[in-house]
Amino acid sequence: MSSLYAFLAMGGYAIYVWPAYAVFFIVLIADTVAPSLRRRRVLRDLRTRMARQASRQQRSRTDLADDNPTLTSASP
Amino acid sequence: MSNWIPLWLHKLSSPPTFYRFAGTLRPWAMALAVLFGVIALYGGLVLAPADYQQGDAYRIIFIHVPCAWMSMFVYAVMGVSSLIALVWRIKLAEVVAMESAPIGAAFTFITLVTGSLWGKPMWGTWWTWDARLTSELVLLFLYLGVIGLYHSFEDRRQGARAAAFLALIGIINVPIVHFSVNWWNTLHQGSTVKLFGPSKIAWGMLWPLLAMTLATKFYYIASLFHRARVDLLALEGGKDWVRQIAEDEARK
Amino acid sequence: MTRPGLAAACAAMLRRDLTLAWRRRGDIAMPVLYALIVTMLFPFALGPEDTLLQRIAGGVILVTVLLAMLLALDGMFSSDVEDGSLEQLVLAPQPLALMMGMKILAHWMTTALPLIVIAPLLAAMLHLPAAVIPVLLLALLLATPLLSLLGAVLVALTAGTRRSGMLLALMLLPLCVPAVIFAAGAVAAAQQGLPWIAPVAWLGAALVLAVVLAPLACAAALRIALDA
Repeated sequence: MSSLYAFLAMGGYAIYVWPAYAVFFIVLIADTVAPSLRRRRVLRDLRTRMARQASRQQRSRTDLADDNPTLTSASP
Repeated sequence: MSNWIPLWLHKLSSPPTFYRFAGTLRPWAMALAVLFGVIALYGGLVLAPADYQQGDAYRIIFIHVPCAWMSMFVYAVMGVSSLIALVWRIKLAEVVAMESAPIGAAFTFITLVTGSLWGKPMWGTWWTWDARLTSELVLLFLYLGVIGLYHSFEDRRQGARAAAFLALIGIINVPIVHFSVNWWNTLHQGSTVKLFGPSKIAWGMLWPLLAMTLATKFYYIASLFHRARVDLLALEGGKDWVRQIAEDEARK
Repeated sequence: MTRPGLAAACAAMLRRDLTLAWRRRGDIAMPVLYALIVTMLFPFALGPEDTLLQRIAGGVILVTVLLAMLLALDGMFSSDVEDGSLEQLVLAPQPLALMMGMKILAHWMTTALPLIVIAPLLAAMLHLPAAVIPVLLLALLLATPLLSLLGAVLVALTAGTRRSGMLLALMLLPLCVPAVIFAAGAVAAAQQGLPWIAPVAWLGAALVLAVVLAPLACAAALRIALDA
């Protein structure tokens, strides 16, 4: 137990050593998490855009069918 | 026969191929980074003996020095890919250059903070205006300038090319700043690790340092691949391969 | 119609920019006024002791001139971007780098030259010894064109963006560090009675390099920024 305390005390330099390591890990973890979040956002935006496009295509096709039924019956 | 390397590189620079390639390599790079990082931390914090002059405070060296090396290494990578992006207009080179900038800025920031945390007990001051510290600070501003310029354009590719140009100007600037600040003053311990020639620090302290250097290199590869993949998805949003990925992701 | 010679084109470019600047004389006075105000604030903030003001005078004047130039830098190409004449210039048969050089020269004459003219006044406000003033002027004469040339490259890079004021300062800071160090170093050396020729020579060397390279870089940057 005392060896653990000695380790954590870092020979009296604990207030310098541990914050340095903390900064190292916090910055690098933030650097890893940020692109993951961005990836999720990019894909979600893309999916909404695709859904919007699909529904627009659907609508224009049904509009076309309503306006002139001959067109839809003529095309196989 | 002998031209398979340029052919392979040419194929690799196509976004979908690189996306898959980076996706395969990234977990391995990350695993190696964590492995070497844990070894280095154990060696540096537990096994390595305390320094006879600096006590345990010197243990900051195991993150400070690798990050300082990385801050310059990443800038070099950014400079080379900026040059490739400007000369050959390869989209992947633009992505690598622009996605390196935040990682480099992160390493530079860590270097500055850990350096001042180390400087306080050793020199009795958080900051001193010596050539190496000032160059590092200037490097941070260069990174921030590149990132800022990239994001100030509405067209992403145009922004990438303008920022790549700025990165190239910065490469010329760093040695000039270093020289001019050196001329101006000096107050720093001499460099302790030389790549060539006998090293002045003990082996028990050196190997964790080298392990951490490897860990940061692998981390850079993993982070760059991760960022580049996301950036490619954003840039190529209209293409079929990206839509396929978006649909697959939704099904999961 | 024959194409005008290179010298004629340069002269026309310079004349055009100077005429435009002259029509908006108020803009020329702005950096000068700014430099006067900043220099006036230092004695208020630091106290009116002669020795302290003397010691910081060289550095304060250099930094003030740098900030005043930064203030004016933003507008170097902005009116040309707005009315489309910059794009015409890019398409013109004359070498773009040379035309850029002329524009930078005109900009330097309208913003930096007035600042150099009032520099002795600023020096007197801060009690800089009269013997040092020639060195200060020499350092300014070499450092301000250097800053104009470096700044022009960055302004060209941001020509395609909407807002760039703060970004310009962020990008210029790393580039102007050497110029500030050597210019202030020369003034400080002269003040202490030391030889000041070495930093001035370094400034001169940097200026020669910048005169050759910066217009080329500026042209390349403009091509990137306007290439839509």
